Amino acid sequence: MAIKFPSDEWIKELSRLLNESEAYERSAKDWEGDFIFIVEPDEAYPETAYLFLGLYHGKSPDAAMVASPDEREAEFVISAPFSTWRQVIEGKLDPIQGMMTRKLKLKGNMMKIMRYPKAAKEIVSCCAKIPTDFGD
Amino acid sequence: MNGYMGRLLRVDLTERRMWDEPLNEEWARKYVGGSGLAARILYEMVDGDTDPLGPENPLVLMTGPLVGTPMPSAGRLSVCALSPLTSIWGESNTGGFVGPELRFAGYDGVVITGQADHPVWLSIVEGRAELHDAADLWGLDAYETQERVRAALNEPKARVLCIGPAGEHGVRFAAVMNDHGRAAGRTGMGAVMGAKNLKAIALRGTAKVPVADPDGLKAVVREINANVDEDMAAMALRLAGTAGYVDMALMYGDLPIRYYQQGEWEPASNLSGVLLADRYLTQSTACYRCPIACGRETRAPSYGLEKADGPEYETLGALGSLLMIDDLEAVIYAGHLCNLYGLDTISTGCTIGLACEMFERGVLTSADTDGIEIRYGDAAVIHRLIEMIARREGFGDLLAEGSAALAERFGVPELAVVVNRLEVPMHDPRAFVGMAVTYALSPRGACHMQGDMYGVDTGQGPPVELGIIPGDRFDDSEEKGRIAARQQAWRNLYNGMILCQFQNPGVERVLRALNAVTGWGLEPEDLLRLGKRIVTLKRRLNLRRGLTRENDRLPDLLMRPLAEGGTEGTVPDVDRLLAGAYAEFGWDPETGEPVD
Repeated sequence: MAIKFPSDEWIKELSRLLNESEAYERSAKDWEGDFIFIVEPDEAYPETAYLFLGLYHGKSPDAAMVASPDEREAEFVISAPFSTWRQVIEGKLDPIQGMMTRKLKLKGNMMKIMRYPKAAKEIVSCCAKIPTDFGD
Repeated sequence: MNGYMGRLLRVDLTERRMWDEPLNEEWARKYVGGSGLAARILYEMVDGDTDPLGPENPLVLMTGPLVGTPMPSAGRLSVCALSPLTSIWGESNTGGFVGPELRFAGYDGVVITGQADHPVWLSIVEGRAELHDAADLWGLDAYETQERVRAALNEPKARVLCIGPAGEHGVRFAAVMNDHGRAAGRTGMGAVMGAKNLKAIALRGTAKVPVADPDGLKAVVREINANVDEDMAAMALRLAGTAGYVDMALMYGDLPIRYYQQGEWEPASNLSGVLLADRYLTQSTACYRCPIACGRETRAPSYGLEKADGPEYETLGALGSLLMIDDLEAVIYAGHLCNLYGLDTISTGCTIGLACEMFERGVLTSADTDGIEIRYGDAAVIHRLIEMIARREGFGDLLAEGSAALAERFGVPELAVVVNRLEVPMHDPRAFVGMAVTYALSPRGACHMQGDMYGVDTGQGPPVELGIIPGDRFDDSEEKGRIAARQQAWRNLYNGMILCQFQNPGVERVLRALNAVTGWGLEPEDLLRLGKRIVTLKRRLNLRRGLTRENDRLPDLLMRPLAEGGTEGTVPDVDRLLAGAYAEFGWDPETGEPVD
């Protein structure tokens, strides 16, 4: 059964898949830094949502949908409208292309992110594995 | 004539004669400047028989209308001639300060013909040119030459272009060096300079470039400088230099490994620009009026080296992963040797890479190589070979001819990863298939600066207003071929104005800047027209030099899928991509010749 995006269930499913992924574990073995993904409203989704994803040494120890970005501390924040997130999850927008073209806006230590593009790719691969309900 | 100093310096080294020539305004309007205008000048001066190392091959230094103005990141210079490596159109483009300084000295460009009967150097100071004896400079490395020329001229602020020993020895991929370790690296312009017995060119002046609309320029410059802080690609370059692309390139399969034949190699990650910045960076450096400052100064303590320029991404690939070297200090040192001797790091690394591959396959044996075992991963041997190439010592004499000649000499031309005899840079066309068009149609042979489709498809400032839309990197449709052709035209315009390709403020701002400087009143649709005209002129020149449609191809090794890694087994459909590109340029699809 498809899981609604954005939702607490969806981000927890992503966390679970990351913890199962050897490719992610290998590519992020030294990574330390949590994320908050901000889903901004657009014509396809009227609300703002905040998804917290904890990431540490190739694993995802924690994940939750939170009510506000202040609820959990995160080193990195990536924000984009709902439809852009959908493109990323469906593999239609390369996340690096998205960041370079400012469709995805990053806050955080860019040098640190630049060292781990393979990890980003594996996260997107895991996203694509989640049967997702975008509310169509 | 706004945007131009209005004159060229002509130098005949055989006759030791120098004179001023007015800039051809009609040519400037049609070909802009930089390599475009240089190509137009060369087109009149060479034919199918001109020897690239002969006195009749003109060495053309050319600026463009934006150079030396307040426009950010426009401090560049084109160095052009027929290439002794490829025998076709040769161009190279260097940063630093020499481009603006040539204009401040009073000239848009310098056209040098002939051959001096003994080594000389040329000074151009405040509009006055003079030749000097260079006997005491001959044999010096590029760094010392620059210092000695400044001292001899008693102009500590003079900017100096020069060759190192590689140019003196006619290494076919010798570079012209300037501003410490900056290089007009590709296509052997240093060998052309050496063949003319010209060791160095010193520049100094205080003239100003006339600008049509100073207030308009000031306004757009302010916007461009503000935009840099919003431009993620520019920010990445500022933080980690071009080396910052290494990790991304590895993910995409864009960084060649083991002479383009291996898709993944985990130790290559040790070449990361982030690690370089953490461990070996001493400072960032910037070219004239550049807010990005992608230049790197580094150190390699294991080699007793406290100051080196670079390495750039291309050097990290060509002298690193291509040769299975993952030791950053070893690559810093190899790049430093190339800078000292005045060698193009790309062609140097690629030619050594080919030698490694030939040795591994038994095509070369130690009987051919002065007893040296040329193995992948052996940094000491690679350092030794760089020195042998620069001095044409022993087996180095063969390597100094370049990859195509080396492979032909031993009966394996199919092993050379070259396009039109120029070694393929560190962007794999199996990772970004649009690069197949860039390489196959590049006027100077395989060149990543003639249409950076890896930049387009990773979203690094593509001019979407011109129909250059980032997309799927594996899409090898005719439409992708058209996009690659447009990008080639766009970058050729950049190389005409001359604007650094890392400065991507958007079409509208580039247009406003060019119009503010020149007063031309161009419209957006004029920009690609200018770029296509420049590409087509260079193509006509190459057709005259004997190239045909059959030369528009990729080398065999790049047409083989890689089993693992970021290319995901992709091989581009080159014919389909080229069909789109020919249509975009208006060239005959059968002959590849321009139609008009």
